[in-house]
Parts: sequence; structure tokens; C-alpha cells
Amino acid sequence: MADTPEAVKKSIRTYMLIGAILFVFTVITVAVASFEFLDFGIHGFDWVDAIIGLAIASFKATLVAAVFMHLNHEKKAVYWIFGSGIVFVIGLFALTGLAKWDPIHDPYFFGDEAANTAPAVENAETDG
Amino acid sequence: MEIPYVVTPRKDTGLFNSKIAIWLFLASEVMLFGGFFSAYVFLRLGADYPWPERTLPVLPGLINTFVLIGSSITVVFAWASLKLRNWNHFRIYMGITLFCAALFMVFKGIEYNVKFHHQAVRLDDYTIVEGHLGYEKEGDQYVLDHHGNKVEENMIRIETTGLTFSTVRYHKPWVEELLSQLEHREKNASVKLAEDIDAVVEEGKPAETLAKAGEELSLDLLARIRKAHLKARAHNADLRTDSLREAWKQAKSANPGKRDWQFSSDVDVNVEAIKDQLLTEIPAVSFVVEPAVKFEFKPRDVREAETQSRLRDDTVIDGKLLASPMVFHYVDAIDFRHLAMKAVEKGQDPISAVENSWLVQNHEFARKAWDWNKAQVAKLEARLLEDYGVHKETGLPRREPTAKERYRIDWKDFVAMSDGVDRGKGNIRIKEEFMGPDYKGREEARTFPEHFSLPREQVAFASKFTPAWNTYYALYFTITGLHGLHVIGGALVLAYYLFFGRRMFESNPEWLANRVEIGGLFWHFVDLVWIFVFPIFYLM
Repeated sequence: MADTPEAVKKSIRTYMLIGAILFVFTVITVAVASFEFLDFGIHGFDWVDAIIGLAIASFKATLVAAVFMHLNHEKKAVYWIFGSGIVFVIGLFALTGLAKWDPIHDPYFFGDEAANTAPAVENAETDG
Repeated sequence: MEIPYVVTPRKDTGLFNSKIAIWLFLASEVMLFGGFFSAYVFLRLGADYPWPERTLPVLPGLINTFVLIGSSITVVFAWASLKLRNWNHFRIYMGITLFCAALFMVFKGIEYNVKFHHQAVRLDDYTIVEGHLGYEKEGDQYVLDHHGNKVEENMIRIETTGLTFSTVRYHKPWVEELLSQLEHREKNASVKLAEDIDAVVEEGKPAETLAKAGEELSLDLLARIRKAHLKARAHNADLRTDSLREAWKQAKSANPGKRDWQFSSDVDVNVEAIKDQLLTEIPAVSFVVEPAVKFEFKPRDVREAETQSRLRDDTVIDGKLLASPMVFHYVDAIDFRHLAMKAVEKGQDPISAVENSWLVQNHEFARKAWDWNKAQVAKLEARLLEDYGVHKETGLPRREPTAKERYRIDWKDFVAMSDGVDRGKGNIRIKEEFMGPDYKGREEARTFPEHFSLPREQVAFASKFTPAWNTYYALYFTITGLHGLHVIGGALVLAYYLFFGRRMFESNPEWLANRVEIGGLFWHFVDLVWIFVFPIFYLM
């Protein structure tokens, strides 16, 4: 960690540079979401755009955490504490995934082929 | 006593106290926001309606992102200034940080305010109309409710002949509202008690008349009856409990050796014995309205029906339901995406479903806008085919218009339509990118007809753009609201260092630097959350 005045003075340039990169990548995020020639995957929003958008956001977040929050040179204890939080979040997203891709929603899961050919039953309408 | 490790790090962890504390806190914050983001993923993947993509204006969100990143830089400069023992620089950088925090909240406030005044309605056939409602007028004057607020043209009108209040549940402000409407609109009419209320109010005494038939409706009268009812209810409940307890005692001694369940069906309150001790309960009280009065109710307060409606506080309104249209003064968007989705689910053609929708069938302008939109989609399809070609194997176009392009016509399209240009080429002003359409500024170009009236029976669900409207807005307000609270909390802590840090700077500058580093860590975390909020809510 930058503790001596000399080290602090040196790191100020780094902070400016990281700030500039964050600004630039914010503009890139918007550009990728707005311009057709930067639209990958199908026309309009799809999972490719989601991955690109989130990848840029993750990159920016990593810069903030590593440089502004000094995680690039922290003590071990901090990595353990913060890392455990991240692990739990990943677990939470995994649970969301399990709920979404639960095979019980698959009409063929129980070998019931008729389920797929029967007309869709409309959900009962409830108003707010 | 001196607190250890406020400036110097502990040997084993290498950290001073507050640093380990803030990282523990940030770890919990990661899990808190992570929980909400996973809820977002869950609700978006499982949504049974077309997700509102790119529905928020991007420009204010983008500016807010710049503002927060800027403040992240200045807060780290403020910390560096303290490390270099430069109080004046610290003051400047921290001041800019706080200014950024305030600016961020102002933009957020504007954005929220616009949402709270923006009306959406889903029709029975899943057409969605968005816009702004008009206000009730009498001549040139706006009608005001008893709070002095303008009344939206979205009221349920009932020609009321009778009112029955639930003694326990009646909601005082709604009764006040009824009395106020009576006073302002129908001076000749009266709301009178339908019949005498005779009640036993003291044990063992004869019934007395609490109120006589013909007494005018008032809050005092209702309060009096409520008081008597609550007293009677408590008294009678005690009597029944005692009686039941006695019955159990007797049953147990009469059935020695048996289990409770073997004789429990015979145990009951001895109604005959306590009959004379009971007080009279008055659960509801009826009033007659003469002559019939046209009362107005807010749609969310009433479940309306042809002859008898009911308020949420269980007040029963007898009387004929009058025409109660929902009147839009401005329409910002017509959205057929949900309708098209439902049609596809049923195996129908979405285009003909739209063309047979109530709105297109009954509204000249909607029909015109839909035809314009169809032509635009055809143009777009042709261009995409020309630019990107077809898949070799399937022969299908590589790129096709999105559901939003196919089925949603918004105010920018209305502008393009009236400008006589293609979609996206209309003359939109910078202010409108922020606040939505500027009706006063573009009176001549506004094309959706004034006072678009929507019959009540077509309305399936209506709401402002609040958490009630759909799960997207529920998540938007939860996550950005929580984030906003973090901005306010962080700014308060940083402001404390700025305005009350001078003395500590003089006595122990390293300690203050450590504190600012901790506050700064939280501030960076707030920025880090926004880095995800911005693309997820504004761009995807």
C-alpha cells in the first residue's frame, strides 16, 4: 500500500489514468449498446450483448477494486474476508441457475410427450 | 485508555481496526447487492411478459455514471492530500466529491419523479398504453380534492343510493372524502342513518337507542358506534371464553380416563346460559343517500360492479356504476408486445391479433400509427436483409427487427411520423432525452389526439411507473433506491470528515487519513455497484 508520501505522489498518476480508462469504457458500453455496427449476435439485445456489457462492467469494477480500493496490494486478511463474500454471491447466482434450469420444467422429463402437444393453458389473470 | 491499532496496523493481520471492519462490512454489502442482482436474473429469465428493454432514458444514467466515477477519483485524491498533509487540497477534493454526490441524487430525484407521474395501463387484450392522464375540470377550473390536489381523470363514478360502513374497518380519510364531496357537489343531498340502532350497552340493562334513524353521517356517529361495538365484542368474547372453559371442566370430570379428542365434539359454549349477559354487537351500519349522489372514488380504492361496489375498507356502496373512463391527456406510447406474445402463445398470428385489438379497431390515430409502424418495420426488414443477407443453410434472414421495433410505437415515433421522416430520424431535443416528451415545447408536433378516452371495462390493470407496474420497476426501484441510500450515507460520513476533521488533522493527521481511506473504500464500493446498475437497468 502506498504509505510514504513519495509512493502516494507516484500513485496519483495511476489514479488519473484509471479514471480516464473508466470514462472511456463507460462510453464504449453505451456505444456497443447503441450502434448497429457494434451490435454482435442477432439484431437487438441478446445474450451476446449481455455478456459484452457485463464483461466491460466487470473489467471496470476490477479496476476500481484493484486500484482505487488498493486490492492489488492488500493484506491477506482482506482477500479472505472479501473473497468469502464473493464466493457466497457466486453460490447465490448458482442457485438462481438451478431454479431456472431445473429439469422439472422440461415437459419430457417425466416422459410425458403429450404435454408438449397439448394447447398451452393460459395463466389465470390476476390484477394488481 | 488508549484504543490500540487505530493508526498502526496489528502485527498478525497487518491491518488497523477500521480497515478490517470496513472490509467485513463490504463483504456483507457484496452479498446484499448480489442477492438483489440474482433476483433480477431470476425474475428476468422467468418473466411472463416482454421485458422492458432500454426503457429508461440513457443520457441521465450516463451522466450519473460519469459523476460517480469522477467522485471516486476525487475521493482518492482527498485521501492522498491527507497523506501529503495538505489540508487545503483535501478540502477541495472532498468538496467536489460531495458536490458529485448531491448532483447524482438530483438526477436520481428527477428520474424518480418522472416515473411517479407517468401512467401505464394494460387493456384486457394486453395492449399497453403509456402516457399522462388529464385532470378533472369544471369550466376552466380544476376540480380539487379535500387535500387541495388536482383530481386525475381516472375516477370511478357511482350514483350512490346507500352506504354501509364496516364498524371496525371504515377508513377515516375516505369517510372525510365522502363528506367533502357531498358538501362541495350535492348540497341538497343528505346521507342519513337507515334505521334506529338499538343496543344493549351495559350487562343486564335493557337496550337503548344509540342513534336514531335519520341522523346525518358524521365521523362522531361512526366513532360512537365503533366504540360500542368494540366494547360489546370484547365483553362477549370474554363471556364465551369463560363459558367454554367451564364446559371443558365439566366434560373432563364427566369423562374420566378418556382423551380430549374423544369427547371434544360435545364441548361448546352454553349459548342459553350467557344469552342475557351478552351486549349487542354492531358490525356494520347502513346509511341512505337521498337523493342519489354521484360519488367519485379512486380506482385503486374500489372494486366496482354494476349495482353494488365495495371499497377496500369493506364499505359497501349501493348504486349504479356510471361511465368512468380513464382519460389520457397525452399518450407517450402504444405497446403491442405483450399482446403479440400472448397471441403467439395461443398459436395465433401476432399481426392480425394487433389489427383486431380494441385500440386499433376503435381508435383512428392508433390505426394510423400502426400502419406507419408496419411500413417502418417492412423498410427495416428490407435494409437488414440487404446489409446482412441470409443464413446459407436455412435461407432465413441473418438479422430481423426486434419485438420492440415491431410492436412498440412510442412518442419519438409519433414525432418522426408527424415530421414525415423514418423512425429514429425525428427531431428530438436534448431536454426530451432527459425528461421525456416536451408537450408544451412541441405543441404543433404532438400528434396523439388530446383526451384519449379509455372505457373502464377495457382496463385490466393500471398503475404509475411504480413497483406495482411490473417486476422490472420493482427491481429498478429496489436496487437504485438502495444504492441511492448508500450514496446519501457515504456522503454524510465524508461530509463529517470534511467539516469536523480539522482538529483531528492538527492532532493526528494519520488517523484522519485512515478514516478518509475507510470512507473512501465505501465510496468506491458505491461506485462499483453503479458500474453494474447502469448497463443492467439502462442498456439491457
